[in-house]
Amino acid sequence: MSAPLQALSRALDERRVLVVCGSGGVGKTTTAAALGVQAALRGRRALVCTIDPSRRLATSLGLDRLPDKPRELDLDRVAPDRDPAGSLWAMTLDTKRTFDALVEKHAEGAAARRRILENRFYQQVSSALAGSHEYMAMEKLLELSADERFDLVILDTPPTRHALDFLEAPERLMGFLDTGILRWFLKPYFVAGRLTLKVATRTGAFALKLADNVLGLQFLQDLSEFFLAFEGMYAGFKERAARVRDLLKSEEAGFVVVASPSALTLDEALYFHRRLEENEMPFVAFLVNRVHPDPAQGFPATRSAADVDDELAEALVDVFQDQRRLARADRRSVDRLEGLTDEGAILVPEFEADVHNLAELKETGDVIFGVGTGRRGRGRTSPRRPAASGARR
Amino acid sequence: MVLDALLERRIVILSGKGGVGKSVVGTALAMAARARGKRILFIEVDAPLPASRYLGEAPVGGKETEVRPGLSMVNLVPAQVMDEYVRDTIRVDMLSRKVLDSPVYRRFFAAAPGLPELMVLGKIMVLDEERVGWPRRPKYDLIVVDAPATGHGLAFLRVPLVASNAVPVGPVGHNARRILAMLRDPARTALAIVALPEEMAVVEALEFHRLMRAELGIEARALILNGCHERRFTGAQETEILRRVGEDEDGRLAPGVTLQAALAAGRRHIRRRKLTQFYLKRLKQAVDVPVVPLPLLFTDRIDETALETLARRLEAA
Repeated sequence: MSAPLQALSRALDERRVLVVCGSGGVGKTTTAAALGVQAALRGRRALVCTIDPSRRLATSLGLDRLPDKPRELDLDRVAPDRDPAGSLWAMTLDTKRTFDALVEKHAEGAAARRRILENRFYQQVSSALAGSHEYMAMEKLLELSADERFDLVILDTPPTRHALDFLEAPERLMGFLDTGILRWFLKPYFVAGRLTLKVATRTGAFALKLADNVLGLQFLQDLSEFFLAFEGMYAGFKERAARVRDLLKSEEAGFVVVASPSALTLDEALYFHRRLEENEMPFVAFLVNRVHPDPAQGFPATRSAADVDDELAEALVDVFQDQRRLARADRRSVDRLEGLTDEGAILVPEFEADVHNLAELKETGDVIFGVGTGRRGRGRTSPRRPAASGARR
Repeated sequence: MVLDALLERRIVILSGKGGVGKSVVGTALAMAARARGKRILFIEVDAPLPASRYLGEAPVGGKETEVRPGLSMVNLVPAQVMDEYVRDTIRVDMLSRKVLDSPVYRRFFAAAPGLPELMVLGKIMVLDEERVGWPRRPKYDLIVVDAPATGHGLAFLRVPLVASNAVPVGPVGHNARRILAMLRDPARTALAIVALPEEMAVVEALEFHRLMRAELGIEARALILNGCHERRFTGAQETEILRRVGEDEDGRLAPGVTLQAALAAGRRHIRRRKLTQFYLKRLKQAVDVPVVPLPLLFTDRIDETALETLARRLEAA
C-alpha cells in the first residue's frame, strides 16, 4: 500500500474527525460518503455530514432528502458479513435549525430567546445567507464530535474558498466580537433607542455618521439589535469556537484534500495544503478523482496487424488517442502536485458510470483502496515520491 | 436560436455546480456575442484564475480590461467593490481613507452576512447602467456574469431578496430592491444554468432551476450541458466493439495502439456517451427551457481555438 493510502487508512481507523475539502465539483461528497462506508465496514461508527446546502450527499446515498438529524443507513444489503460493530450514519446540516437550536439552548431566559427568534434580521440571515453555514457547521461539528453514537465524524465541506471560510469562521467571529464594534458605536446608539448621534465618543459619532451615509441607520439598528440580542451568548460562542479550533488542530482530526486533475482544482488543493500547514492542522492525504486512465495501460504491446476494417480502425485509433491525450495531461498535473508538495496522491480513475447508491459507494471506496474490481476500473496510486529537495516540514 | 434568446438581454448570468466549466462556457458565450459585433463585458467573481488566461492574457483584476477588441473582462473582488462604494459615497478623500483604514470597517465587512454578495451585484447593476458618448449609449451591449457555484450561487442571487426583507429602509434596502428588480426583469436579465452529464451536476441544475423559479421568480432561459461525449462510431461499429472487446484477439491498429486497448477505449467512450444521452434526455424531460449540449474537448488546455469551437456550437444551437 502506498504512503498516502496508508495515511488515509490509518486516519479511517484512528481519527475522530475527518474533514474532506477541495474545490467545487471534484467529488468531495462522493468521496466523503465512500470513506464513511469504508470506515463502517472496518467496524467504526461513522457519521457522514455535509454542510453543503445543495444536499448532494442525499444523491450519493440514493436518498432524495436527508434529514438534518443523523439517520442510520442499512449496510446489510451491501456488506452482509462486515464487522458488526460498525455502522454508517448520514445527515445534512440545516443551518436555520442548528441556529435556532443553539438559541434555544444558550439564550439567557425566555425573553432573550424570543427577542432573537423574532428578530427580523435573524430570521433572514439565519437561514439564507452565505456565511452563516460556516458558523453553524462549526457548532454542529463540536456537538457531533461529542455524540457518543459516533466514533468518527466525516465532514463534507463546501467548495475550497468557502471551506477556508469554514476554517476561519470561529476566528472571524471572535475577531468581530473582539473588535468591540458594538461597544464602539452600535451599542451606545442602540441603547439610546432612537435615531441619535449622541454616542459615547466623538469617534463613535463620526463613524456612525459615515456608516449612515454608506449603509443606512436602519440597517445598523437592525444589525445592532441582532447582535445585542445575542449579547448573553457571546462568551459561549467564543468558548466553543476556541474548542473547535483546538479539535481541528489536534491529532484527533485530519484533512483529506480532494481534487480533480484540472489545473484549477489542483491549484486550489495546493493552496489548501499550504493553509493547513500554516494553521498547523493535520493533513492526511491528497485524493485526485476522475483521473483519466491511460488507455494503453495493462495491454501488452504486439506487432502483428489486427483484423479490423479500415473505417472502424481509424475511429478506434482516434478515440484511443483522445483518451491518451487526456490521460497524459492528467499525469502531468498530478506530477506537479506531488512535486510541489512532496506528498504522494491517491489517484481514483474516472468511472464509466455514475455513483448513486450505497453499493456503488462501497465499490468506490474499494477502488480508492485498490481492491475494487469490475467495470469501475482498478484503483491506482502513485508511489510516494522520494524526498527530492529536502524533507518536508 | 438559443443564443438569440440570451443575447437580446442586457445581462446573462451563468450558474451551476462547481467544476462544470462555467467560466469556459461563459467565455465562449462572450466570444459568440462578440462575433455578432456586440461589445461584451465578462464578469467573474473572486476567480482564483481569471478566464483571461484562456486567451493567453494576464489575469484581469478589479478593473475592466479589454482583452480583445469588443471583449472586456473583470474579476470582481467583493472587498474591493465595497471600498470603491465607500469612496464614491463619502467623496471626501480624507474621510473615506479614515473609514477604509479602520479595523472596525474591515472586520465588519468580513462578518456582515450577505454584504459582499450585495456589493458585487450592485456593482454589476452599476456597470450595466453605465453610459458613454453622445448621444448616451450603454458602455456594453451585453454583460456575461460567471456567478459563484450553486449552493452558494443560490445564496448569491438570493441575497437581494433577503436584504430587502431584512432591511426595508435605508440605502441597503433600497439598493437591494433595485438589484432584485434587475434580476427579475426578463427583458433585462437572462439566467442560464450550466451542468455536466453527471448525476450530481444534473440534480443540482434541476434543483437550482426549481428554486430560482419558486423563490425568486426568475426563469432560466437555457440549460447548457457541457462536456458531452459525441457520437464517434456508427451503430454497427458500436455493436462490433462491444462484441469483440472481451475476446482474445491479438494484433495492433497503429504503433502503440493494440486492438484490445483500442476496443477498451471504444467501450469506455460508448458508455460515457450513453450517459450523456441519458442526462440530455432527462434534462429535456424535466425542464421546459432549451437544452444545449456542448462537446467535451480533448485538449490539454483551453485556448482561443477551443473557445471558438464552443462559440460556434453555441451559435448553431
